[in-house]
Amino acid sequence: MTEIKKLLIPLTDYPHMPYWATLEEAIVLLNFSHGSGYHTVLVFDEFYKLLGMLHWKDILRAINPKFKELSSEGIDIITSWDDNKFKMPIKDFMSPFDITVDAGDDILKVAYLLLQHDIDIIPVKESEKVLGVVRMHDIFHEITGFILQSKK
Amino acid sequence: MRRLLNIFRKKVVAPQPVLDDGRPFKERYVYFKRLLSENNTVLEIMADMEEKLSGEYIFDMNYVRTSCSKLVDSVQNIIVNLDKLSKGKYPNLYFAFAKINSKIEATLTNKTEIPVTDFTIPFDSVTKDMVNSVGGKNANLGEIKNKIGLPVPEGFCITAYAFKKFIEFNDLKNKIILSSVDIVDMEGLNRISREARDLIMNSQIPPDIESSISNAFSELSRKISSRAGSPTASVRSSAIHEDAKFTFAGQYKTALNVKADNVIENYKRVISSLFNTRAIFYYKSKGFEEEDMVMAVGVVEMIDAKASGVMYSSDPTDAEKNDIIINAVWGLGKYAVDGTVAPNVYIVSRDEPRTILEKTTPVQEVMLKCNPKEDVVEVEVPEEIRAASCLTDDQIKFLADYALVLEKHYNIPQDIEWVLDEKNKFFILQTRPLRILKEKPVKNIQAITDGYKILINKGQIACKGVGAGKVFFVKNDEDLQKFPEGAVLVAKHTSPKFVKVMNKASAIVADVGGITGHMASLSREYNVPTLLDTQVAMKTLEAGKEITVDAINGNIYEGRIEELIEAGKRENPFKDTAVFKFLRALLNNIVPLKLIDPEDEKFSPDYCETFHDITRFAHEVAMKEMFQIADSPNIPNIRKREAVKIEVKIPLEIYVIDLDGGIKSDSKKITPDQILSIPMNTLLQGMMAMEWPGPPPLNVKGFFSVIASTTMQPHSEKLLWEPSFAIISREYMNFNIRLGYHIQTVEAFVGDNINDNYVRFLFKGGGASIDRRARRTRLIKEILELTDFDVKRTGDVLDARVTKYDKSNLLKKLGILARLTAYTKQLDMTLFNDAMVDWYIKEFLSKYYTEDWE
Repeated sequence: MTEIKKLLIPLTDYPHMPYWATLEEAIVLLNFSHGSGYHTVLVFDEFYKLLGMLHWKDILRAINPKFKELSSEGIDIITSWDDNKFKMPIKDFMSPFDITVDAGDDILKVAYLLLQHDIDIIPVKESEKVLGVVRMHDIFHEITGFILQSKK
Repeated sequence: MRRLLNIFRKKVVAPQPVLDDGRPFKERYVYFKRLLSENNTVLEIMADMEEKLSGEYIFDMNYVRTSCSKLVDSVQNIIVNLDKLSKGKYPNLYFAFAKINSKIEATLTNKTEIPVTDFTIPFDSVTKDMVNSVGGKNANLGEIKNKIGLPVPEGFCITAYAFKKFIEFNDLKNKIILSSVDIVDMEGLNRISREARDLIMNSQIPPDIESSISNAFSELSRKISSRAGSPTASVRSSAIHEDAKFTFAGQYKTALNVKADNVIENYKRVISSLFNTRAIFYYKSKGFEEEDMVMAVGVVEMIDAKASGVMYSSDPTDAEKNDIIINAVWGLGKYAVDGTVAPNVYIVSRDEPRTILEKTTPVQEVMLKCNPKEDVVEVEVPEEIRAASCLTDDQIKFLADYALVLEKHYNIPQDIEWVLDEKNKFFILQTRPLRILKEKPVKNIQAITDGYKILINKGQIACKGVGAGKVFFVKNDEDLQKFPEGAVLVAKHTSPKFVKVMNKASAIVADVGGITGHMASLSREYNVPTLLDTQVAMKTLEAGKEITVDAINGNIYEGRIEELIEAGKRENPFKDTAVFKFLRALLNNIVPLKLIDPEDEKFSPDYCETFHDITRFAHEVAMKEMFQIADSPNIPNIRKREAVKIEVKIPLEIYVIDLDGGIKSDSKKITPDQILSIPMNTLLQGMMAMEWPGPPPLNVKGFFSVIASTTMQPHSEKLLWEPSFAIISREYMNFNIRLGYHIQTVEAFVGDNINDNYVRFLFKGGGASIDRRARRTRLIKEILELTDFDVKRTGDVLDARVTKYDKSNLLKKLGILARLTAYTKQLDMTLFNDAMVDWYIKEFLSKYYTEDWE
């Protein structure tokens, strides 16, 4: 099976920010990246060590904790907006990660990991360096493409 | 070339105190400061000279020479200091300077040569191209006699060469120094004038000149013995510059009816009138220096006039009218031109048939006649002719013909002196170009003057125009001394003495006087609106009251009529003078700027055409030379010896080197409040006020230990965290900032003189991928442009600057740079796409570039 290197999105092309960047900056970045379909910001330190990931879910939760609970009356977005959070560093809101795959790993292995942990992107390392990420989105496309191909 | 350089080096201003320790940076800074100071001097002098060209001022050659010489000194000093600052990188500047300087020298020393001739020349041998030898008046007389063929009295010239020898013989050149007196110092002018005249009267005529004059006079006597009893002559000035473009009317003495034995004495008297106060004032304001004042003298057969006067071949006050105007008085013509009596006025048409259009014959009570032996005397006009016309109609027409002949010969309208002898023969005594004023017609006088009281509505217009001011009566010389700026001069008679205040008077009014008199001539030359023959001004007008003199329509109004003054606005006559044109020509070598764009390949000494080019080039280059200081390989050595660390709560390690008055303390560690350097202080304050993103800096040791154990992103370079260095003085700063991957240099000079001030920001980014670097460069560039910096980009390098701001605005710019430095630290990671860049730009401006920044 194919190596995930083929589906790798290099770090430079994927939204990433230093841990001290503000929530506002992260929001701007993801908003401006809308067309690309990306929804997670990788969080690094100054030495490019991966610290965590900031998913859109993390962002929304940050700006309004009430999202955690469902309210029967619906949500009044304006009043529940929490402005103070904007200036805080993203390290306060990011999700830690503990799963990475190696650049030489097989696609199926990666797919399995994604399913098991219910995540849709995963960082790819080579020795100690983060090369980039792969997305479930692209893996699914690759696998199903392979299936359809072999059926012919 | 070495010799050339040495010549220039010798002329430099006294050296400054020697530096005690020979530290190279301090030395360069001294040269830099000196260069800036000389640059300011040059700019000031240029501005002053240009202001003089606005026409609002009167100045003389002395001013022009002094200013020029100061300018030359300063430009030289600039070049020398640049030479030292740049260690001789621009030798071609010396050549450029020499080239321009020699052009200026040539203009300044343009002298008229006095041709070597006989001491005396009879009129029979004189023509108009001999002006440099015999003077304008004599040359014209010779021309009229020999080329045109009109009757002219016999006579001879005492030449310019004779004059020169006379001056040399008595060493007068070193004894009479006019340049020491300011043109506006009336006291000083009077004093110098007296001294000069006394000197001349007490000087001796060289024996050979004396005998030449005696012989010439004997010759003259023989020629005219048929006409009169014992021969007498008039001794008249014929200065070299007289009568060409400048009237010098009435400035020099004429001695009338002089006997043989007194010719020499009167020659000296006429020569000494070269140094009359009013003559001095006149030629200083017209741009001559005493070296240019050379006088030839005419000794002319004395004609005891029956009648005499002045004739204009065209109307001097109106370019449209070209009728011939004749003034006549009984007796000698002096009384016609010096304003003592009101002359007969005849206006004759120039078209055929010659018609007398107007005739005015006022009563003449007194006249000037020759005394039988010598000299002249005022006598009463015989009863029967007092009210009579001096000339018959035929005589008038005859004389008018002469006017046209003369005008035709010279091709321009003429100002003519004539005399009619007892045998009714006409003689021409003098002719010179007639100065005609070009005027704009004034419309709608009626509407403008409605409601204003007319005080006087009669008079002759001697010089067209409108002037307003307070009435100031002039009855004697003391009054003239006290004449206030902008007043209207009101007097009974006209007098050429009034020339002393013609630059101050807004208008001149006289009860008696002819428009063809000397003073009228001068009024026209100085373009002062003048009304003559008003008859009742002295008794009607009140001292100190504001009046408007309308010398276009011949009225005097009560009060000040602004619109009328506006409508009659006159051209500034000073702009026609030699000294004015001279200054303008001179400034062509000084002021125009050809070297404009420092990026242009022609921005080099080889293309310098003016002093301004040189100073611009030097200034530009000096800034570059100072800027390179921080890149100098000497820095590491300096670090150890002199650098002082600043303890400050920002993630930078900063060391400073003090050139001159930048730090308050002597210790090796200081805090920001001990920084006296104005730019450094501002920058630090700005940086301290920011929140710096990211982690605090590691010291180098700690950094390396971490490096070994962490991952590095694939496309990065090694993180550099070296200390930053600044070289400072009280007004100057050259700060090399190392921030992560980037190197920034901020250089600034913040002084009290706006010409010296500048801020320069050099940014070179490193690290990151190409697209990130490009984004970062764009981010910084656009922020700089939007905060009014002048930015140039070459690849990854940005060069931004502002120049010539005042202190306070310049410090604001430094504040922006301080904030930008903090803001852009490690922004690479987040410059994910171009949209982010735009957002960051907006963010910065909205936070740090608010309304109160200009």
